[in-house]
Amino acid sequence: MTVRLKLALTVIATGLVTALALIAAVPFAYLRFEHETTFARANAFLARVTTNYDDLLDLQQRQPQEFRTWLRGLVLYEPDTQLYLLDAQGTVLASSGDAQLPPGFKVALEPVRAALAVAEGVGSSRYVMGDDPERMDADAVIAARPVRRATIRQVQEASGYLYLVAHRAELPAGRWALLSRSVGLPALLTVAGIVAAATLFAALIIAAVTRPLRRLTEAVGTFSARGLDELGDGPPASPQALLPSAGGDEFGRLAGAFALMLETLRRQWAALRRLDHFRREGVSNLSHDLRSPLTATVACLETLERHWAGAGADAASAAERAEERRLVAVALRNTRNAARLVQSLGDLARLDEPAFELRRETVDAGELLDDIRLRFAERAARQGVALQVGHADDTPPHASLDIELFERAVANLVDNALKFCPAGSTVTLSAQVLDGRLQVRVADTGPGIAADELPQLFDRYYGRRRSVEPASADGGRGLGLAIVKRIAELHGGSANVVSARGQGTVVMLDLPLQPLQPDTSETAAPQARAGAG
Amino acid sequence: MPAPATILVAEDQADIRDLLVLNLRNAGYRVEAVADGAAALATQLERPAELLVLDLMLPGLDGLEVCKALRARASAAPILMLTARSTELDRVLGLELGADDYLTKPFSLAELLARIKALLRRAELLRAAQAESKGPARVVRNGALEILPAKRQVRYRGVSLEFTALEFDLLLHFASHPGHVFSRGQLLDAVWGYSHDGYEHTVTTHINRLRAKLEADPMHPELILTVRGAGYKMREPT
Repeated sequence: MTVRLKLALTVIATGLVTALALIAAVPFAYLRFEHETTFARANAFLARVTTNYDDLLDLQQRQPQEFRTWLRGLVLYEPDTQLYLLDAQGTVLASSGDAQLPPGFKVALEPVRAALAVAEGVGSSRYVMGDDPERMDADAVIAARPVRRATIRQVQEASGYLYLVAHRAELPAGRWALLSRSVGLPALLTVAGIVAAATLFAALIIAAVTRPLRRLTEAVGTFSARGLDELGDGPPASPQALLPSAGGDEFGRLAGAFALMLETLRRQWAALRRLDHFRREGVSNLSHDLRSPLTATVACLETLERHWAGAGADAASAAERAEERRLVAVALRNTRNAARLVQSLGDLARLDEPAFELRRETVDAGELLDDIRLRFAERAARQGVALQVGHADDTPPHASLDIELFERAVANLVDNALKFCPAGSTVTLSAQVLDGRLQVRVADTGPGIAADELPQLFDRYYGRRRSVEPASADGGRGLGLAIVKRIAELHGGSANVVSARGQGTVVMLDLPLQPLQPDTSETAAPQARAGAG
Repeated sequence: MPAPATILVAEDQADIRDLLVLNLRNAGYRVEAVADGAAALATQLERPAELLVLDLMLPGLDGLEVCKALRARASAAPILMLTARSTELDRVLGLELGADDYLTKPFSLAELLARIKALLRRAELLRAAQAESKGPARVVRNGALEILPAKRQVRYRGVSLEFTALEFDLLLHFASHPGHVFSRGQLLDAVWGYSHDGYEHTVTTHINRLRAKLEADPMHPELILTVRGAGYKMREPT
């Protein structure tokens, strides 16, 4: 449930509750109003009567029948009204009604006193409900006035009361219907209209309030999808420019906080990239700087070797120099290994350059594997290892590849397999199209790789530091495999290994048949790159 | 026995320069050595050597500029460029400024000598072909394929086609030995003039290009065929 929906539902619920409360309050208020006006009118009426006639008790005592007729005459023009004359204890002495009251019938005096209080303006209530002697089951609005006997002495206590009952039951029958028609329906419509208008208005406000939030979500979503690279390292692409501009409200501050966070991320990302660039540059420069001395050293040693090979005619001097020649051979082998390692480092740095581009050509990967097998055939035969290409019968695995790099990756894998496999092993190369991808496998029946070394196998700086290299290894398989992995990545694929101690090793290259981005089209450079190793 | 070829070495690092001179002399060449680009250009213009070995990163005028200046003066002597950086190599390859071959440091002397020998032989062959072109033209035919080695022209099914120098040499080699299967190593040796592990992909790339230019469907070639597990051959004319 969105915030917008929640807020809208809240507004609608509030409106409905308000409408219901109003509708419930209208009859209550009307009834109260009716009671109050009735009471006020009755009170005024009683005041007029008691002012004009101050000897009501005496009149009643003297001529009960005439008094009753007189009472009836008083209420003749006051509809729904009955008058009663009470004594001080509340006993009904006379009544304007027709009903025969039992002799000595009393009404409760509490409402009478309350009515007197209200008439004098004491208390919060504006009307009083009391007994209706004719209908004991229901309360009615009453009013009362004290009446006194005409004596010489001024008597404070009332000797009786003139008691008025306004009959609710005698309201006109159609009055409720009239009320609901004249007040209820318009009120209901008005209330419904107000609620609807308020809801609409609230919806608009909610939309306005949540719009920056939605924009912010969209902007952050865009960053998540495209990554920080889109921001670049340059100052112009500031996150504030990409985030929705919002006012100074809470959402605006949230957007601002996001912008700050993105700015921090961008700065750190730029710093990381810069560091990575420096690292690559450092490795590249180091590799470069090491090349010249290594070139000189290799050339020196090779010159010495050639020199002695040429002077080998003299048997005596050859025997004499045997030890020295062996030492030079050792120096030369190790220097060449160092040179290869330096070259690999430089190549890896080059493959890591963001600007590096593949030179793709469409080739039959199966043919390429055949050719690679030929390259290694002599060495494999010398080591007593069977090197073969397993061909699937299906369509030839044509793919768009950088031939040099692909061959280098496979050659590195074959080189590794030959390096670690004892005589009698088999190394099988195969390429096939599986699910629209090129699957290249280099499988050997060699000693395998321990499970704890597998996760770091392609990690260039971890290498195989924890275990001892075979004596023939030139830099181990660490860097070679790092290059394999990088080449697979450059092609938009991956390199994976399955192996266990004693069960051989299978390295798989999983590459797309076509470049993922169509812009890296096939190049037609007339010269191939040199510098493989 | 022809007179030994003259080689000009331009390398700023004295140790490497001395070693190059020593080994080239031992291999029977006459060698001149300079330490910077300007001297290399001046020496070559004054006493043209038959081949130049240029370091790419020379002080003053760098190897590329020397190369450019020489080609602008119509000097045809082959140039072998030495580079220390793979990234520089990319620049050289991208610019195509007329160097004939490239070698990255650290290289082995054997490889350097093989490259130099191959470059000199190619230059010699080219001269021979040009000399021959004055006489009756030799034509190599293979079905619809017609090659005039002297003019370095190729016609296939009556259409004239353009090839780079190495593509032409490779095609000529195939056409001269129809039906003969060559491994990539043998082709590298015969056409490029040296066989060094790690450069076989160059052959694959060039065969790919030949097929792209000659075959109706390069993925199902009919002229330059693959012999699985052995190498490549040109179809014999029927």
